[in-house]
Amino acid sequence: MIKFSREDFRQLYLLILYDVRKIFRYKIFILMRVAWFTVQVGFFAYLITAVVGQRFGVQTTYYHFYLLGAYTSILFTITMFRGYEIAQEFEEGVIEYMLSLPIKRRILAIGRILGGSISSFILSLPMFLIVIILLGGFEPIAILSAALSAYLFSVGIVGLSISVVFLLKSGDVTDIAFGIMDSLLVRLSTVFYPAVILLSFLPYYYVGVSNPLSYLADFLRWIFYPSELGKYLIQDDPVKILFFLLGFSISLTSLATIFIERRVEGGGWK
Amino acid sequence: MSTEIAIRIINFTKRFGNFTAVKNLNLDIYDKEIFGLLGPNGSGKSTTLLTMATVYKPSEGDIQVYGKSVVKESDEVRKFVGIAFQEPKAMWIDKPIEILTWHARVVGYGSFEARRVVREVMEELDLWEHRNKMFSELSGGNRKKVEIAKILIQRPRVAIFDEPTAQLDVIAKHNVWRAIKELSKEGSTVIVATNEMYEAEVLSQRIGIIYKGELRGLGTPDELKDKIPGGDIIEAEIEGVVSEHLRGILLEKLEAHKIDISNGKLRIYVNKGEEKIVPALNILNNLGVKVKMITMKEPSLDDVFMFFTGARLGD
Repeated sequence: MIKFSREDFRQLYLLILYDVRKIFRYKIFILMRVAWFTVQVGFFAYLITAVVGQRFGVQTTYYHFYLLGAYTSILFTITMFRGYEIAQEFEEGVIEYMLSLPIKRRILAIGRILGGSISSFILSLPMFLIVIILLGGFEPIAILSAALSAYLFSVGIVGLSISVVFLLKSGDVTDIAFGIMDSLLVRLSTVFYPAVILLSFLPYYYVGVSNPLSYLADFLRWIFYPSELGKYLIQDDPVKILFFLLGFSISLTSLATIFIERRVEGGGWK
Repeated sequence: MSTEIAIRIINFTKRFGNFTAVKNLNLDIYDKEIFGLLGPNGSGKSTTLLTMATVYKPSEGDIQVYGKSVVKESDEVRKFVGIAFQEPKAMWIDKPIEILTWHARVVGYGSFEARRVVREVMEELDLWEHRNKMFSELSGGNRKKVEIAKILIQRPRVAIFDEPTAQLDVIAKHNVWRAIKELSKEGSTVIVATNEMYEAEVLSQRIGIIYKGELRGLGTPDELKDKIPGGDIIEAEIEGVVSEHLRGILLEKLEAHKIDISNGKLRIYVNKGEEKIVPALNILNNLGVKVKMITMKEPSLDDVFMFFTGARLGD
């Protein structure tokens, strides 16, 4: 049984604060992301929807499908950026500093994951709001459920990126690994292409239906448009999708925690 | 100096791949002492200190801090230890005031107390006026001060300083030395890694000389100097002849290692020269040699380092 003391919670709060306060230093980054996302969903999304509409006759449906996929994609990219930041912390020696602080390793791991995921989610909020406005979906429960599932997804992705950075301990290899993960995971998913389309190429389909991005995108689709988009989901039962997301974030958080607690040490950064 | 052991290093070895940074190190550091770890760059000082602070894990052996093992109880060890790294650790976009306030909170201060103590320490180190600059805009010396400030804020039971005055000007250097001594007076066990002999001598009650990952010498500065055979030189300006008979007596009675005579100067190489200067004077007077002036020269810590490591300039 894991026990947390009052001091552990205090330090958890301080670690979260450490990550969250960095948000304000990324004004240009946020502006650029928001600008690009606005162009993507306000212009390219209409173009691709028109093409899809001509071919399959599902114009409005695809636009909704695309919007929620685009948000999933940007949230994933922003969250993966945490990995680059932690890699930079390694280069600057900040990780060694953190390892020397009077903080339990488990609290350090959980604090950085929660801090990273909260800050990633906050960074993605402008995009989230744009999508909500474009969808016209203002039901508070739907918005809250979407926000919670997006946050859950962020937790898992931060756990993944922290594990990768600590495992590789190399700036160059981390750059390459994250570049590959970013491009492959977004493309080999149902973020932009429905599962029924992926079925025409089975290897692609199998990767797509095991991809956490597919699960978040499809869960968001089910929240906002259960009847319109429900038939395009990777799972008939949205509860199963939610459990996948839950399992994904718990397992990757645990992996990163165990890794930091038992194996991580300073030095050796290449 | 207390005889309670604060830190016990037991058969400690640290390897990075095929490279062995520290080999089978055994060492006790006493409670409340200032211990100097002296060695050139790459000798294994930082590796030892970083393992003490639980940043590294030993490849073999263990380090115990107040009885807690860095291998098995690292969470407990970190409650005692604070380290000022050789290279200041912060992100380039961080500001000194933020770095130090956050540090103060993490090491246990409440919000109000943290602000007070941070201001106090920053003023003590002449950092206050730079508090809102980005870390990347600070000079090397001021970055180093930020690193030192973390420990002066934390005031841990074991305070580790890795080359604390590298990059500091003379005034700042003396300020830091004073602050380190105050920390020790308050009851902290202080470990200072340095490659500057003078710093080791000024600060440390005991010194360990580490070279190529091995402990080569250990003791107080005086003990280390005394370990150099004939390290003290008694030099006398004389009138008269030093016969072979006199030379023999000097060698025997003073347990001298060597005697040189040139240009009216007699040099007697002994250990514990301070105890032998009067007997030397008596022997010379009794045997009819007039002594115009007599002095004693101790070896420097540079000589000590060269002796224990076998290193030569240019190594």
